[in-house]
Amino acid sequence: MNLEQVVFYVFAAVVLSSALLVVVSRNLVRSIFLFFITLFSMAGVFVFALADFVALTQLVIYVGGVLVLMIFAFLLSNKHILDNPESLKTKLFGFHNLPAILVAFLFFGILLWCISLAQIDQLAWIQGSAGNTLEVTDNTIHNIGITLMTKYLLPFEVVSIFLLMALVGAAHLARKERKP
Amino acid sequence: MDTFTKETISLLALIATLLPLFSFAGILLVPGSRDRGSFFSILNIATSLLISVVIFLNVWNKQPIHQQFDWFIIGDWRFKIGILINNLSALMLLLISFIATLVHVYSTKYMEGDPYIFRYWAYLGLFCFSMFGLVITDNLLLLYMFWELVGFSSYLLIGFWFTRETAVQANKKAFLMNRLGDLGFLTGIMIVFSQFQTLDVNLLFSEGGFFKRSLVQGDLWYFSSNHMPAVWLTIAGLAFFFGATAKSAQFPLHTWLPDAMEGPTSVSSLIHAATMVAAGVFLIARIYPIFNPTVLIVIASIGAFTAFMAATIALTQNDIKRILAYSTISQLGFMMLAMGVGAVAPAIFHLVTHAFFKCLLFLAAGAVIHELHHLKDKKGLDFDHQDIRNMGGLRKFMPITFITMLLASLALIGLPFTSGYLSKDAILIQSFEWAESQGSIARIIPYTALFASWMTAFYVARLIFKVFFGELRLNVLFGQAFSLHEAPVAMKSVLVVLAIFCLFPLFSLNPFHASHAWIIEGLPYFSTTPTVESYHILIPAVVSIAAIILILIGYKWYGKNEKAPDYTKAAVFRFSQEQWYLNRLYKVMFVDSVLGLARTAFSFDRTIVDGIVNFSGKIIIVLSAVSEWLDRKVVDGLVNGVASVARTIGNFVRHFQTGRLQHYLLFMILILLTFFVLKYFSQAI
Amino acid sequence: MIPLSHYMLISAALFSIGIYAVLSKRNAIMILIGIEFMLNAAILNFVAFSKHDKFAASGQVFALFAIVLAAAAVAVSLAIILNVYKYYKTIDPTKIDKLRD
Repeated sequence: MNLEQVVFYVFAAVVLSSALLVVVSRNLVRSIFLFFITLFSMAGVFVFALADFVALTQLVIYVGGVLVLMIFAFLLSNKHILDNPESLKTKLFGFHNLPAILVAFLFFGILLWCISLAQIDQLAWIQGSAGNTLEVTDNTIHNIGITLMTKYLLPFEVVSIFLLMALVGAAHLARKERKP
Repeated sequence: MDTFTKETISLLALIATLLPLFSFAGILLVPGSRDRGSFFSILNIATSLLISVVIFLNVWNKQPIHQQFDWFIIGDWRFKIGILINNLSALMLLLISFIATLVHVYSTKYMEGDPYIFRYWAYLGLFCFSMFGLVITDNLLLLYMFWELVGFSSYLLIGFWFTRETAVQANKKAFLMNRLGDLGFLTGIMIVFSQFQTLDVNLLFSEGGFFKRSLVQGDLWYFSSNHMPAVWLTIAGLAFFFGATAKSAQFPLHTWLPDAMEGPTSVSSLIHAATMVAAGVFLIARIYPIFNPTVLIVIASIGAFTAFMAATIALTQNDIKRILAYSTISQLGFMMLAMGVGAVAPAIFHLVTHAFFKCLLFLAAGAVIHELHHLKDKKGLDFDHQDIRNMGGLRKFMPITFITMLLASLALIGLPFTSGYLSKDAILIQSFEWAESQGSIARIIPYTALFASWMTAFYVARLIFKVFFGELRLNVLFGQAFSLHEAPVAMKSVLVVLAIFCLFPLFSLNPFHASHAWIIEGLPYFSTTPTVESYHILIPAVVSIAAIILILIGYKWYGKNEKAPDYTKAAVFRFSQEQWYLNRLYKVMFVDSVLGLARTAFSFDRTIVDGIVNFSGKIIIVLSAVSEWLDRKVVDGLVNGVASVARTIGNFVRHFQTGRLQHYLLFMILILLTFFVLKYFSQAI
Repeated sequence: MIPLSHYMLISAALFSIGIYAVLSKRNAIMILIGIEFMLNAAILNFVAFSKHDKFAASGQVFALFAIVLAAAAVAVSLAIILNVYKYYKTIDPTKIDKLRD
């Protein structure tokens, strides 16, 4: 087991453990900060998948954007949301979230089963993609840039317009009710 | 007088017939005072009389008038009706219109003061119309219709004083009895029609008509291509005779006639003595060829028996009109007897003479009743003004009535120099001749008639002596002396005119022999019996001498006040007085049995039929209760069960519909998982 | 060299955690976080497979799109949550059961 693998599994462990802590935590603010850790670790996992650009985007948008948006939004709008007493009383193994736990485990089992059934590592196109596989030394940004500007130009533009719409819509929804 | 064509005469006959109908309709339709109509009616009937005279002069002993037109057509078959006036109908027309006119004149006084007299005139008009129609029509169906109409108008007139219970009972009885006879008539018509396909009297019954051409061979009765069992010929004859029996009050359907005396006396005189009751005799004369020898013997026997029976009853009656009614029945019996023995012409002759003298008798009796009634009203007394025991000595007060009634009585008895002598003796002679040719048993018939004729002499004598001789018994009854008046001029004159017609010269120049009477010579002579000369002298002599002896006995008993031997306790007397118990017999036989049957049927209906109905009703109620229970418990229960199951399921499922997003999501994911599992497990396995 | 199936396992675990958060949390923001977990799990799959698609790099491109869209979704979601709070005075999804009737 080399260093690379060790670091990867550490990141993976951090992702999963912080995610679990997010969902079992009774404090919303703590959950949100744990969520930040999860997203950060996720970016690390992306790096090990040789997707450094995606990892960076993850950091910028999620960690820098979404999370900050969340916190700022709550803090600016209503502080009572943050210390909602009911949310604090949530127990992990209460009767009312027993179905959720069961379903989640069921889902996990089925996913595992699917993965084992698929035998992803022995898939034909993965086995035969020797020349098409990213190396650690490869520059991914170059290829992504070309692809975005050629093959995925239309989705790219649509997404940008969609983003604009989302921002305008969010601003409109979140604005204070103006008294007529 | 050949100035009239056939068409004109037919038209005249039609006018004469319709004039009384015109007065009937006119009186009833045109409103006015209650005593309206007398002048109008008399005018109409007098015009009819005038026309009848003209018709008679143009038809008598000349070619018969027969005019026809199509009434309706069915396929190729034409139903023709028309007018047939031969000697017989011309004579009847004249007779009816003459007597009707006289009775109309008489009625102006007799019915005076009646509050509803206009109805009387109207009904008389209807009656005259029907009677005229009956004699002139050439068709059996029309004849039947007029026959019914005559019966109906008779019904109306008998019940003219409809507030009297007895009058209502009497007209009901008359109507029912006549209906019974009509049934026979109708049966006869149907038989004739099915055999000959026509109801034309002229075609059927004239010389060389269908009946002469049809023949009976073996058991079959042939006519051209048709044939039917021969017994139908006899049945047809009997059926027609049965019809005539009811109308002419022959045994056994005679009982309505005495009761019909509840009507006004003028009506009794016109309808129930002179004309309507003669319709039966007329019918038999009209259709004479239909009767075969069997039926003729029946007719003769019935006629003779009726004559005898009615005469015996008349001996003991005390009601003046009832005596005359039974006398009428008796005389009609003579006519039937004459028909039966083949003496058609004498029968019609007797019909004519009888019409005059019996009408006169009734009208004279009416005058007596009228005066007694007046006396009763004036003095406020209470006695039966029709009972001859209350009368007596009236010849002093009413001489003209007495003389005319005496003449009529002599004619009824059949003494020489009267019309009755001619006709009655003609009948008797012919029946004796017929009996001679028939054999021993048949002799009973003429002898019965002979006895009846003698009894006639006695009861008529009794009537006359009791009414007109001796002293007025009312004086004894009430202990004071009454005096009566002669009848009014209108009535008196009618009596006188009728009295003239009771004498011989108008009918035959020979007062002792009828064979040259113009009526007999003018009528078809169907008889084939050989003449026995000795009877022509012997019988009139025997009848007359016996009659005179009986009259003398009557005078001895009744003429000199209450010297008659008392037979009122004798069984024979009671038998006669109770009119042979026939009314009672009919009551027991028919009325009571019908009532008993009705009662039985009623109780049957009540207990069994109603029981069944009620029982089935109960069953249905029980069934419906059961089905109601089933419906409520089972069917409704099923429906409600389904509903409640659905509701339970709904209530159960509603718990999943929490409205919480997370629950929905949960279900969505579960479903997704289920698909996964199903898909991959099925592949794996 | 880390096998693909390990990425898959991480992704599956993260996704299940997301599902649990979405289904059980009594707070709309926590649900939103759960959704983000699930999105991240999906993105991880894209990225992992993209390793064997050097030139087209479709996985990475779609990962980028997904990240951008997720950010937009968060923005809109937060706006919605704020409005819901204004209306119901709570962000507990169990209290907001207008869908029931």
